[in-house]
Amino acid sequence: MDNVWIAYLLVPFVKILIILLAVILIAAYMSFAERRIVAFMQIRLGPNRVWPRGWLQPIADALKLLVKEDIVPARAEKFIYMLAPALMIIPSLVVFSVIPFAPATTLFGVFKQPIEPYLADLNVGVLFVLGVSSVGIYGVILGGWSSNNKFSLMGALRSAAQLISYEVPMGLAVVAVLLMSGTLSLVGIIEAQRSQGVWYIFPGIVAFFLYLACGVAETNRNPFDLPEAESELVAGYHTEYSGMKFAFYFLAEYANMTVISCMITVLFFGGWLPPFPNWLAAAWSSPALAWIPPFAWFAVKVAFFLFCYIWFRGTFPRYRFDQLMHLGWKVFIPVSLANVMVVALLVLLVGGGK
Amino acid sequence: MSFWSFLGVVIPIDLLQGLSVTGRFLFKKKATIRYPEVKRTPSPRFRGMFGFAEERCIVCHNCAKACPIKIIHIEEHFEELEIDGKKKKKKVLDRYDIDVKRCMFCGLCEEACPTTPVSIWLTTKTYETAAYERNERLYFTKERLRNWDGVVPFPGVVSPGNGMLPEEPGGAPEHKEGA
Amino acid sequence: MAPEVTRPFDDSEEMEISFGPQHPATHGVLRLMVKLDGERIIEAKPIIGYLHRGTEKIFETLTYNQAIPHTDRMDYTAAATNNQALVGAVERLMGITIPPRAAYIRIMLAEMQRIASHTIWLATHALDIGAMTPYFYAFEEREKILDLYEAYCGARLTLNCMRVGGQPFDLPDGWTHRLRQFIDQFPHRVAEWEKLLTNNRIWKLRTVGVGVISAPDAIEWGLTGPPLRGSGVRWDVRKALPYDRYDEVAFDIPTGTHGDTYDRYLVRMEEFRQSVRILRQCLDRLPDGPVMAKVPKVIKPPKGEVYHSVEGPKGELGFYVVSDGSAIPYRLRVRPASFINLQALPALVRGHLVADLVAIIGTLDIVLGEIDR
Repeated sequence: MDNVWIAYLLVPFVKILIILLAVILIAAYMSFAERRIVAFMQIRLGPNRVWPRGWLQPIADALKLLVKEDIVPARAEKFIYMLAPALMIIPSLVVFSVIPFAPATTLFGVFKQPIEPYLADLNVGVLFVLGVSSVGIYGVILGGWSSNNKFSLMGALRSAAQLISYEVPMGLAVVAVLLMSGTLSLVGIIEAQRSQGVWYIFPGIVAFFLYLACGVAETNRNPFDLPEAESELVAGYHTEYSGMKFAFYFLAEYANMTVISCMITVLFFGGWLPPFPNWLAAAWSSPALAWIPPFAWFAVKVAFFLFCYIWFRGTFPRYRFDQLMHLGWKVFIPVSLANVMVVALLVLLVGGGK
Repeated sequence: MSFWSFLGVVIPIDLLQGLSVTGRFLFKKKATIRYPEVKRTPSPRFRGMFGFAEERCIVCHNCAKACPIKIIHIEEHFEELEIDGKKKKKKVLDRYDIDVKRCMFCGLCEEACPTTPVSIWLTTKTYETAAYERNERLYFTKERLRNWDGVVPFPGVVSPGNGMLPEEPGGAPEHKEGA
Repeated sequence: MAPEVTRPFDDSEEMEISFGPQHPATHGVLRLMVKLDGERIIEAKPIIGYLHRGTEKIFETLTYNQAIPHTDRMDYTAAATNNQALVGAVERLMGITIPPRAAYIRIMLAEMQRIASHTIWLATHALDIGAMTPYFYAFEEREKILDLYEAYCGARLTLNCMRVGGQPFDLPDGWTHRLRQFIDQFPHRVAEWEKLLTNNRIWKLRTVGVGVISAPDAIEWGLTGPPLRGSGVRWDVRKALPYDRYDEVAFDIPTGTHGDTYDRYLVRMEEFRQSVRILRQCLDRLPDGPVMAKVPKVIKPPKGEVYHSVEGPKGELGFYVVSDGSAIPYRLRVRPASFINLQALPALVRGHLVADLVAIIGTLDIVLGEIDR
C-alpha cells in the first residue's frame, strides 16, 4: 500500500468493522443454533416460526431485549451497574483482533497486494489472548456486587472463583503447545504446524483435552455451569439485569465460546491448514480442491467446536461447586504439569521448535 | 487401581457413551406435531366437549345427580300434548345448562344417561373451547350446546345440531355397558 | 449427627433462606426453610399446604363412584393407582371380588402408570441435576403410555378408569397389540437412558453418597416405595399384601444396598424393567369374561371401616374408609406416600451442600398434590 492513510487507517478500520459485525452476528446466531441443536437432540424442533423457518429468531430476540424496560435496582451502584456488562463484553471482542482467520490473501485478485485478514499479528498473541480474556472476570464480579442482591453476589463470587481456578491448567496446557512451536505468535504457531507437518493435537492430545475442559469451564458452560443454573438456590450474577445489559452478558458468553473454539483450532488443529498439509500436499494443490479457501477450513473447525459446546450442554449433568473446584485444582493442575514435563521431554528427543 | 480402570478414568468412555446417545438422536425423526397446521387425532373414546341431543333426552336428571361437581342445571315443566289422539303429560325441557368452566370431563354424566344412544356424551374429539371471557362464554345453555357456539369442532366432526351421534363405548347402541 | 457449625464471630448465626414455594426445583409448591452455614445445610424444614384443596372433606359429600375423579387429582402423576386404591378399599369393605379380566386390566393399567410416573421422576431428577435431555426422552415414552390410556378410557392424565366392582369398559380393539408394541421397544429406551446416566462420572459424583438413610432409619421414618427399597428393605405391598391378583404374576423387587440417591435411581430403573415383565405376563394371560362384577346401581357399603393400600409409584398409598351404611362415606382418610416420605427430608439433607438439596428432593419423588390433597 503506497498511501499511508489507506494502509494504516482505512484498512484496519474496515477490518474492525467486519470483525465486530461478524462476531456479534455469530454470537447472536449461536443462541439460535444452540436452541435448535439442543432441541434436535431432544427429539423436538427448536424455534421454527419466525420467518423463514426460524432464522430471524435472534433478530426478534434482540429487538425484544432492546425495547424492554431497563430496570435498575433502587440501591444498586449505578455507575458500576452500567459498567459491568461492558467490562464483560469488551475483552471478548478485543481478543478477536489477534485471531488469525486466514493467511494473507489477494481475495482471488481483487486486491493489488495481499492483505492479511486478521487485524494484528502480535508476537505475544497467546499471552494477549489469555490476559485479555481474564479481564472479563471483572465484569462478573462487579456485576454481581453492584446488583445489591446477596444471592447475585454469592453467584458472582462462585463464578469468578471458577474462572480464575481454571485459568491455571489452561495456561499450562497452552505451554505444551508453545514448547512444540517455539513461538507465542498465533500465526507463528500455525506456520510451525505447517512446517513441522503435524497438527499439535497428535503429540499434545492430553493438552487438547485439558484445554477443551478448561475452556468449557472458563465460559461457564455445562457441565461447569453451576453459577448460572436455574434450579440452584443461588442466582447467577446476571439476575438483576434486564434488557440490553442482559443481552451483553449473553453475547459475551457466546463470544467467549467462539474465542475458545478459535483458540482450539489455532493451537491444536492447524488453524487454516487443510488436513494433513504435508502428506496430502499433492491432493490439496490439484485443481479439483485448490479452490477451497483456507478460511473455509478455519470456519469448519470452529463450527465443529461450537457444535461440541452445544453437544456437551445437551448431554451432561452438572458438577457441584466443590467437585468443580476439586477437579480444577487437584486433578487438572497435576495432570497439566505432568503433561508439560512429558512434552518437554518429547521436544528434546524429537527436536521441536526453536 | 488396575490399568484398565485408570484408562477408563483418563479416557472418558462413559462421557463419550452419553455423547453418542444424544448424537444419534440428533438425526432421528422429531416428535413435535406442528400445531395448528397439523393436529393430532384424539382416540374415539376421548372425553372432549359435550354433545347434547335434546330430542332424546327424557329429563330423568340422572346426569345432574351423577356429576361430582353439580354443574348440570336442568329445569322442566309438564305439558299436556296430543300424541296419537290421547292426551299425555310430557316433560318439556326448559333449561339444560352446563357450566363448562368447572367441568372436569370425568364422563360420569355420559355413563349415567339411560337412553340409547345417550343424550349427553363427551366423545366428540373436540377440545378447542377456549374463550376470552370465562363466565359468559363458558356457560353453555341448551341453544349454545346445540350449535356449539364458540367451540371449534375437530376437523371432520359436526356439531350436535347437525346430527352428530355419540361414539362408543358408552354412546353407540351396540356397545352400551351396564354401569 | 449435626455437623460442626463454624462460627467465626461470637454473634454470627446461620443464614435462613426460604426456598420456594415458587421454585423450579421443588416439584410443586413446596416451601423449605433452609438454615445454612456457608454452603452446608444445618436444617431444612418443609412447609406445605399451598396445594390443599380439601379433598378429604369433599369426599364426605360425594358417593364412591363420584369420588374417583377426585382421587385422580391427588397424585396427579399416577392417577390409575389412586383409583385402584379407592375402589380396592370399597370392594374390600363390601366383600366384592372382581372378575379376573377386570383384575388383569387393573394390573396392566397400574403397571403402565408405574412406568409413566417413573418417567416423570427420571425427567425431573435428571433436569435438577443438570442433564436436560433425559427429560425429553422420558416424556416421549410417557406420551406413548398416555396415548394408550386415552384409547382405553378417554383421558390422559385424570383417568377415572376404574369403578367399584370392576372396570367401566372393556379394552378397545387393537389395544393389546399397541401395548405389546410399546413394551417390545421400551427396554431399549431404558438401556439408552442408562447409557446416558448410570455410568456417567458426573452423575455418580452427584448421587453416590448423597442423602443416605439406613434401613432401620427408613423403617422408623415410615418410608415406603423406592426410598425404602433403596436402603435394602424388601417391602413391596404387591408381594406382602397382594391385591387384584398380583400373586398370580411373577416379578422381582429391586433393592439397593447403600440407601443413597444412586441406589434409589438404580431401584427405579430396575422397576421399569420389572413392570415390563409384569405387563408381558398380563398380555399373555389375559382371560376373557365380563369386566364388571354384579354390583348394585348405588354403592352402599355396610357399616364398618377398612384400610386398603396399594403399591403406588411413590410408595404405599392407602385409603382408610369409614362407612356408616349410606352411599356417602363417613370418612375417607388417605395415607399419602409422598407426605410420609417428605417427613424424612430434614434427616436426609443434614450436613449436605445446597446443591444436594434438589437432588434429594428429586430422589424422594414427591408430588405436592398427594402431600397437600
